Amino acid sequence: MASYYQLEKTAWDKALTSLLGSFRVFAPILKGKTLDYELIKEEHIPQIVYNTPKPVVPLKTFFLPVKENVVVEPEAEKPVIILGVPACDLSAIDLLDKFYMAEEYHDHYYEKRRKNSVLIGSDCHSTNKHCHCTSYGLNPYPENNQDISISMLNGHAIISAFSPKGEALMVRILDIESDVPTFDELPVGLSEIRLNVKRELEKANRLLPNYQETTDAVINSDRAIWEKYAKACVSCGACATICPTCTCFLLIDRPGFEKVRQLDACQYPGFERTAGGEDPLKELEYRFKNRYMCKYLYRPEKFDAIACTGCGRCIEACIAKINKNELLVELTK
Amino acid sequence: MGTKSENIYKPFKVTLEKVIEESPLIKTFVFVPEREFSFKTGEFIELTLDGIGEAPFTPSSSPLVTERFDVTIMKAGYVTEKMHKLEPGAVLGVRGPYGRGYPIEEFVDKEILILSGGCGLAPIRSLLYMLIDMKDKLRKVTLCYGSKTPEDCIYKPLFSELNKIEKFSTLRTVDFTDPYWEEHVGVATVLLDHVEVDLPNAVAVVCGPPIMMKYGTFKLLEMGFPENLIYLSMEKNMSCGLGKCGRCMLGGYFVCRDGPVFTYDEIKDQPHIW
Repeated sequence: MASYYQLEKTAWDKALTSLLGSFRVFAPILKGKTLDYELIKEEHIPQIVYNTPKPVVPLKTFFLPVKENVVVEPEAEKPVIILGVPACDLSAIDLLDKFYMAEEYHDHYYEKRRKNSVLIGSDCHSTNKHCHCTSYGLNPYPENNQDISISMLNGHAIISAFSPKGEALMVRILDIESDVPTFDELPVGLSEIRLNVKRELEKANRLLPNYQETTDAVINSDRAIWEKYAKACVSCGACATICPTCTCFLLIDRPGFEKVRQLDACQYPGFERTAGGEDPLKELEYRFKNRYMCKYLYRPEKFDAIACTGCGRCIEACIAKINKNELLVELTK
Repeated sequence: MGTKSENIYKPFKVTLEKVIEESPLIKTFVFVPEREFSFKTGEFIELTLDGIGEAPFTPSSSPLVTERFDVTIMKAGYVTEKMHKLEPGAVLGVRGPYGRGYPIEEFVDKEILILSGGCGLAPIRSLLYMLIDMKDKLRKVTLCYGSKTPEDCIYKPLFSELNKIEKFSTLRTVDFTDPYWEEHVGVATVLLDHVEVDLPNAVAVVCGPPIMMKYGTFKLLEMGFPENLIYLSMEKNMSCGLGKCGRCMLGGYFVCRDGPVFTYDEIKDQPHIW
């Protein structure tokens, strides 16, 4: 059973400061209206935003850079702490790990970064307009893949370790103070907040089908709905680029038999085009539907992991204002 | 291949030994690998032209020969156009072999009807070499091959060689004939009207351009071939070869990992297969 440690916020900040020497720490900072991960320096520490959904970029950007030379040996990097990761992004790791670190065809660029990182997950104590993790069986607090979890409650950081990597870091964090209060159970105040946020999300998304219902509905859908929604799509690929589980890429050749992996999107025209000219996904409408098939059927079936975490970023990113959830509600009406 | 310690994106080097002109658009390149290399028939490789690009090909030579291997390439796009200009001595990169090739162990005691068109004969030639090697265990092998014109017909000596081998026979057709052509005329599928098949003991193999794959499959179904005994080479834009980049997805399948050889019943319910 996990033990929960309670640190004064000031002590936590001090602990975090002490880690800056040996880790590159990334945490969400609000800039204007945008919450995004920043490389933390000492002066940023008071500005770190806790318990708030959700950094504008998904966690995958730390492990899969937009562009990366995958033939030259990567340089050794200082270990990384990623602080404030929401539960939706943590759950995306299930699919990414299976995808890139399977027994066969190990991607050691992904693996190296993944192993070099400590993930500190954080509760969501509020919700964003398009958050719908609970519809897909997730909870708005760290349950999976976090090395450490942190929640702020009444001026205190409630911290718990969930992996050997987390335990090791915890020793250093707790070193900052003697007699840190420990609990075997989650503080009552925190479980109440968790329950309330969960209920809030369930209420906001009460019309949204769950994962299995969505899968069934997408499989059994008529063409009309895809035609209708695809009409607005401009194939910009933002939905795929911002998706925490989208991984498709392009390999670009460089002299010296080097290869650069560049993040790609299945919504771009010509994504599947062959030299002979055939292109099974030539029609925008096919590409559009294929993405839903991929998210709700193909990836879950193949990797036994969800491929939509309900983060809602694709809805926020769509310049054509296509709301995936409206489509899914309409589909299951 | 693809062990944990190996960089999955890094090619090894091969040297171009010889170039054979097969047709105005198709050449066969003979490569000598710098390190040990073997493949099973129907598996494919990623061939890199340094700094230019990489493309997937299924070797067209016998897997039993390991000192060198052939790749037959049609000039079809940016990379292949540049490959066609290569001279012996050129050094290229190879990753692989990848994918699932032909399940030749399942062909034992069967007769094999092969339908092929254009450059689709490349993987088939490799398969044919394996079938020749195991001919004592086969009932018969019939190759039906179509090309646009007599000039576009590749591996010309192969046909007379095959016709000399017991249990093997070939049929050829062209879409557009010339005054010297004495064989069939019409699309490749017309050849299926001229073959005798002992259905309970037969399997079919199809490899060619998508349009031929489609109508060839329909015709084989019409002839009574069961869906699970029609083997299709569903080559697509396999870019990484590792089941990761997503560019060769055929519905839920990664063609590069789950294929490129599929039976028709495996893929028939996936969208946009042809």
